[in-house]
Amino acid sequence: MSSIDLSSRSSHRDIRRPVRAVPAVQNKFERIAWLFTRYSGLVLVFLALSHFGLQHIFASVQDLTLQSTIARWGTVGEAPNFTIWFWRAYYALLLGLAMLHGLNGMRQIAYDYMHIRPLYYGFMGLITILVVFVTVAGAVALGMGVSAATTSTISPAIQ
Amino acid sequence: MEDGYKMETLWVTVRDTFRYKGRDGQWLWALHRITGLGVFFFLILHVADMSLVYFDVPLNETLIALYKTPLFSILELGLAASLVFHAVNGVRVALLDLRPELWKKQGLATRLSLAITAVLAAPTIIIMIIYTINADILHASTTLIR
Repeated sequence: MSSIDLSSRSSHRDIRRPVRAVPAVQNKFERIAWLFTRYSGLVLVFLALSHFGLQHIFASVQDLTLQSTIARWGTVGEAPNFTIWFWRAYYALLLGLAMLHGLNGMRQIAYDYMHIRPLYYGFMGLITILVVFVTVAGAVALGMGVSAATTSTISPAIQ
Repeated sequence: MEDGYKMETLWVTVRDTFRYKGRDGQWLWALHRITGLGVFFFLILHVADMSLVYFDVPLNETLIALYKTPLFSILELGLAASLVFHAVNGVRVALLDLRPELWKKQGLATRLSLAITAVLAAPTIIIMIIYTINADILHASTTLIR
């Protein structure tokens, strides 16, 4: 981080100073991350809220069973029909956007609070590894479907 | 991250968040961070447990059963409120950042953000509480029959 010359800034008492234009961000990665957070957020409002509404308003967590997951994701080896492709695409988009949006938000927070450089990089390294691992696992499950060969241990098949 | 800043501890940063008199916008900023952290934590957990429908079905069913317990039903209400607030307030942040001419209306935007959050979250939470109570009645009655 470059040091900021505080002497050139107007006094904090000068509350009537005009609002100045936000200086253009020179760092290309930061610029893309900033824009991504806003645009992905606007898309996630629809994706995340519709997912939450479907699971918790139009149904309840009590209705979440292996069968309800099979209805959307299909099973391993079964040729997916249009419905299953639709839900896989919907959840793939939600998964990818939410994880990147969350990881970038986490980076902003860690950067603001972790002033010791090795702590910041170590923490973000661990979080990134965890997020990549979980996202890949989720993507594999979405692409493959439910392992129907394994018999359900808790809930009997509700037809 | 210059040398001078290293002495500044996490505590100082957190404390200054509460001392800085940024009025309502400051509180929405703090809430946006806290709710974002909470939703992200649940997202990682939830993707992990749902990926188990392919890797380990019995473990997936054990974790889903955990979500249906009363404790998790209470945490679920927090998730609902956090997600709705983060979504509504996020729209405010994105619109004001992408359309600077709207800054003139930021006082209105702040109040709208809280009002829309309340309007969306309140019925959601009420519906979720009714579902939880009904599930408990259903569970109690089936146990009685057995």
